[in-house]
Amino acid sequence: MSFVIGVDVGGTFTDAVAAGSDGRVVSAKAPSTPPDYSGGIIEALTLLAKQWNLTLPELLADTAKFSHGTTSSLNALVMRKVPPVGYLTTAGHRDALYIMNVEGRYLGRPQHELQDPLRQRKPEPLVPRRLAREIVERIDSAGRIVVALDEVRARRAIRELRDAGVSAFAISLLWAFRNPLHERRLKELIDEEAPGAYVALSSEVSPRIREFARAATTVMSSQIGPGLRDYLGRLETRLTELGLRVPLLVMQSSGGAVTATEAPATAITTVGSVLTGGVVGALRLARQTGRRNVIATDVGGTTFLVGLIVDGEPVRTTSTIINQHPVNVPSLQVHAIGSGGGALAWVDQGGHLRVGPLSAQAVPGPACYGHGGLEPTVTDANLVLGILPERGLLGGRRPLSRELAEKAIAERVGRPLGLGTLEAAAAIHAVQNAQTADLLRKVVVESGHDPQDFSVFAFGGAGPAHCAAYAADLGAREVVVPLGGAAAGFSAFGLAGADIMVSAERSDPQPCPMDPGRVAAIFDDLERDVRSRLARQGEALEEQELRREIDLRYSLQLSEVTTPLAAGPVTTASLEDCLTEFERLYQRMHGENTGFRQAGMFAVTFRVHGVGRTPQQLRLPDIGTADSELAASARRPVCLDGTDPIETDVYDYRLLRAGHRINGPAIVEVDTTTVVVPATARGEVDALGNLVMTFG
Amino acid sequence: MFLHVPGSESFASQTPDHDGLRTEIGEKVGLHTVTDEQVAALDPLTYEVIRHRLWSITDDMGSTLRRMSGSHMVTEANDFDFTINDEVGREAQVGLYNTMLVGAIDMAIDWILRNRADNPGIADGDMFLCNDPWVGGGLHQNDVLITQPIFVGDELFGWTAAVCHEPDLGGPNPGSGSTSADDVFGESLPTPPVRVVHGFEIQRDVADVWVRRSRVPHIVGLDLRAKVGANLTGRRRLLDTIEKYGADTVKAVMRRMMDDAEKRLRDKLHAVPDGTWSAEGYQDQAKLGDTGTHRISVTMSKANDHLTFDFTGTDPQTGVINCTFGGLRGAIMMAVLPTLASDIPWSAGGIMRCFDIVSEPGTINNATFPAAISRAPVGPAWLTGTLITQCLSAMLGTAEEPPGPVNAACCGTWEGLSVAGLDERDGAGTPFLYSAMDPMAGGFGAAPDADGVDTGGLLCIPMGRSPDVEMTEYLYPVLSLWRKELPDSGGPGRHRGGVSAGLALTPHGTSAQMRIGFAASGKATSQNPGLSGGYPGSTGYDGVVRGTRLEQLLAAGRLPTELDQLGGDLDPGGCFDVKFIGPGDVVYLQWQGGGGYGDPLLRVPESVAEDVLNGHVTPQAASAIYGVVLDDDGEADLGATAELRERLRAERVGRDRTTRKPESRPETQIGKPLDDNLDRLPDDTIACRHCATALGSAGEPLTVELIEAPPAAAGPHIGTNPELYIDAQVGFRQHVCPGCGVALRSTVGPLSASSVLHAVGAQNAG
Repeated sequence: MSFVIGVDVGGTFTDAVAAGSDGRVVSAKAPSTPPDYSGGIIEALTLLAKQWNLTLPELLADTAKFSHGTTSSLNALVMRKVPPVGYLTTAGHRDALYIMNVEGRYLGRPQHELQDPLRQRKPEPLVPRRLAREIVERIDSAGRIVVALDEVRARRAIRELRDAGVSAFAISLLWAFRNPLHERRLKELIDEEAPGAYVALSSEVSPRIREFARAATTVMSSQIGPGLRDYLGRLETRLTELGLRVPLLVMQSSGGAVTATEAPATAITTVGSVLTGGVVGALRLARQTGRRNVIATDVGGTTFLVGLIVDGEPVRTTSTIINQHPVNVPSLQVHAIGSGGGALAWVDQGGHLRVGPLSAQAVPGPACYGHGGLEPTVTDANLVLGILPERGLLGGRRPLSRELAEKAIAERVGRPLGLGTLEAAAAIHAVQNAQTADLLRKVVVESGHDPQDFSVFAFGGAGPAHCAAYAADLGAREVVVPLGGAAAGFSAFGLAGADIMVSAERSDPQPCPMDPGRVAAIFDDLERDVRSRLARQGEALEEQELRREIDLRYSLQLSEVTTPLAAGPVTTASLEDCLTEFERLYQRMHGENTGFRQAGMFAVTFRVHGVGRTPQQLRLPDIGTADSELAASARRPVCLDGTDPIETDVYDYRLLRAGHRINGPAIVEVDTTTVVVPATARGEVDALGNLVMTFG
Repeated sequence: MFLHVPGSESFASQTPDHDGLRTEIGEKVGLHTVTDEQVAALDPLTYEVIRHRLWSITDDMGSTLRRMSGSHMVTEANDFDFTINDEVGREAQVGLYNTMLVGAIDMAIDWILRNRADNPGIADGDMFLCNDPWVGGGLHQNDVLITQPIFVGDELFGWTAAVCHEPDLGGPNPGSGSTSADDVFGESLPTPPVRVVHGFEIQRDVADVWVRRSRVPHIVGLDLRAKVGANLTGRRRLLDTIEKYGADTVKAVMRRMMDDAEKRLRDKLHAVPDGTWSAEGYQDQAKLGDTGTHRISVTMSKANDHLTFDFTGTDPQTGVINCTFGGLRGAIMMAVLPTLASDIPWSAGGIMRCFDIVSEPGTINNATFPAAISRAPVGPAWLTGTLITQCLSAMLGTAEEPPGPVNAACCGTWEGLSVAGLDERDGAGTPFLYSAMDPMAGGFGAAPDADGVDTGGLLCIPMGRSPDVEMTEYLYPVLSLWRKELPDSGGPGRHRGGVSAGLALTPHGTSAQMRIGFAASGKATSQNPGLSGGYPGSTGYDGVVRGTRLEQLLAAGRLPTELDQLGGDLDPGGCFDVKFIGPGDVVYLQWQGGGGYGDPLLRVPESVAEDVLNGHVTPQAASAIYGVVLDDDGEADLGATAELRERLRAERVGRDRTTRKPESRPETQIGKPLDDNLDRLPDDTIACRHCATALGSAGEPLTVELIEAPPAAAGPHIGTNPELYIDAQVGFRQHVCPGCGVALRSTVGPLSASSVLHAVGAQNAG
């Protein structure tokens, strides 16, 4: 037997999934062990091995693929627990990192803060000014050297930074993506003056026009690179000692993995790895069940993450935001649209009910946790409504106090609004559902699509209690709650199944029509780079696929539309097809006849994604067919529509088999979540054990 | 002198009279309305669900507009906005971008209803375009409104609207601004509302007339589609919502949103003491060649839950520094939204009910046709907004728990730089024109508990954005020698104003002459005052440097990053000026920082040391303005600092030593704080909060020391040569507590202005 293993290292828990070649999938959970996360990983792996009646070395020896996603780099950036790095940039332009194009004051901040500009602040500088040095050199927009690199002064700056104790250097010079000569020479100087220091070059990490985002990306990469290098090195050594014979793979924001030895060089690409695990899991599930368009919703206690799959492919983006900085990293697009089960319900100064955007933090959590929280949350409302079991969550391991939930809702919402406690709870539940639908609709519509063409996938602890309602309000076709083999570790399951993926990009802004020779030369370079990196993955890749993209825009538009370019020779015709496709994508997003070619088109950035498929393809196992009617395991009064509670069937998810039908109103209890089937919904269990709900 | 144009009155909108409108057009267009009972009957659940949806729809319109626009001012600078309005044009929800536009959009819809209902009619599938600032919809001709009526059955349910700044709409100068026009006929022509979309189709004849006027018709055409697209997005989503919940319910929610915003704003006003506050500021030069300085005055009274803004005392309209009544309302919204409505939904239709305006037509911030108004938003409206922000901050500062941010003024104008020439990089030579967007990075003003944000932006466009240098160099034949934050440009204070930045460009990839246009007031007098004794932020300063050694320097491997490294002579630009430069010459531009809060001699010395370390304050200013002595390691020497500060305070009151120390107030003498320095005692005595010296009585001028000195005394960030720009004598004025020497008010302005300091009842806001 051989295994495919996925490990998802979160801030609190480490989830692991092992899929055997016999089709069985098992999962395990262990507490994460920061700062060295390998303890939690070994613990989770040991639990996995036990379920196969193997020792850990036996499991690892038979492992054909080992893929791992970590939140540690992102946490380090967000919490600003990063080592000091030295920053080198072109003379006269150091302050780009501090001016932040002004947008650093508000980028990525929640909606309610945006209308309060006088209280907004820029984040702490990415690099303190004393560790930022200006280098005398200048390259112009054509890539020509205007002022040669002053090596004497550069060496002095490097030595000063070295003596100031920096552990890494980030170099981002103006126009370095056009001509990387000075950046490369600076790296050589660093290798001489500060041997062994980690160095990140903007021309390698992010060769894209616009110096602020490129510099921010390069600095962040240098801040997490050394830590990632040490961590992955230690982990891989340990796993190899324990018997692992294949390279350790690390998940990237792009939804594909790279080997642990390759990852640290462009560390920033791994920063969203945990966020994307859920989308990749949804992609696996979508492909296996033949769904082409999916809205993947992953709702936890404090976060609500959304990813889209369109025509069988995840929607991608070319940048993200971390600590109010724009970061260039090819990613699966994951929108954080609001708060999860911990969203606070409150009455504003105008006497109106509000839910979110603030959320109860993990500690003290919702009022019903009994850890001192006094403000009512969506979770409290769900408990009062009877949706959540009074014996608590996680099979009773987290007890809940209905009394505290009722008290919080009555005091903070019910009384001020003149509503009974149950009525107030129902209103909170309904407002949360409607807001979620609004925010989801925005995500779907802004990407140019119609929600009625989509299935909603709902996972995470706090999603399934609401998903039927928000999916119906959204007008989605159906909602799917994954309850089969990977129910407990959906994100880890996604990681386990990830393909290898490497990307290369470079800006070469030019007006259209593009010159085929110039474009072909760029893609030749990028594809050579991608192929050689794929070859270095040390995996037997079953098939390789190279995809080309060009970021195009009209005139002076700020945002570009990433448009595919066909493989094969780059010709005037293929580039014209690419422009036609751009206009089609543009109009899908903005409406018919909104394109306006006469305004002029520009190509800005060229990109190649290389995907390598490993031979081990992951599938969820069948759950077995129902041979009898599904019996309710309990009944309890539940209020789902604001009227009086009615006795409602409660089902145990472990008993679900393919073909079982559940008509609403009903509740399905899972260890890690609770599913609501409203009166207007019909549920059916599919072959993999997923609960599929439809409406009307 | 402006000649009156008979017939122009019919285009002059005033504050919309909604009841009058209903009577006037009720027969021509069926208006969808709901009763008070329907509004009252809304349940909390339905209200919140629909309110959130309307917000989400508005937001969608903005995203559509921003993504689709091809205009630099929209995509890079976020100079646009959008609204959802009820049947008579009241704004139920507005966007978060250019907040001045909010004050003009409802006026245009009101005008359309009164003037277009019977001919050509207002029907489903129509959209109207307008760029006539007297009608409304924008502040100057570059602000172009497209608004769409939304029908439910036969009844007009409401409107959506989208406005963005177009790069050029004709007129004698590229960019459509003018620094020398005698009147609006020397600028771009205003277009009153025309039906550009009919039956959901862009009317080709109207669209052609529209784009024909522009030097960049393609971009104007693209933006036309962007705004049509944004309106269609709004319409589709709004009708979906109406279909689901019913028109009456949605309208009731819109009504209650406005009622709610009004009520919450009134509650806030109730919570602060009544009073009167005044402020005045200046536009240096009215146009090219003018050497006057032109006053805007505002006196704000707060009684119970209502505000009155009285602009009596504002100078007559003149030159190119005027704005229409829509600009005046926009200025008020620019100030009110972030200070009083930061935590209130921006249902502007309700917020606007909380104030009245007293203003004489024919003045620079309420100009009548045919005054030149192309600089309305960046000149008179902006300054008016800044002055109102000062008054509101001073008012909020008198509350024990201010229900909104108390904040010194932010960067007070747009430091306009336009560059035109021939781009020879493609070999052929292509004419180019651009406006530098870098001055978006103005400094924010300081607050009682925080420094202003360095290069934080512009208050009137809270989500503005400055471009990357690489984008500028890619698009235009220039090389950016530097773009950096400027030390000392943040107004000194107990909390420092945010610093601004400056840039230097040289032609690169062109051998032809480049035309450099400068346009910004505020080079002699300060438009970014401090509060509570805090100093103003930096004045603007621009110019061109000719005869530089740049070519030799670059060839020798040197890259100048300061003006004095360039060699050559700096030819300073006037407030409104045109210069020409050639290869090897340099254009230099620096814009305004934010005002300071409180006396800089009270700033924590360690914060000053940190500012010096970070290059935000020079060692000279640390010593001269902040009174902080740094040791060899750059740490504040606390003993020496205390001595120096005592000496500086004594100098202020003209003695060897002060009679009282700033921390010498007896614990028993505590009144209600009026600002950072003044207390009002129970017997209405106004006393220094620091040393308890009695300074006078509420309602009467205070008895304080007054220092008058040349502007340079305010610090190295203030222009030292006001005579380059204006005739009036400019000085640094400081009102000082005679007891302890703490600064109560610090201004840079014409010495002809009144020097009387009031604390209560016409308190000087800054």
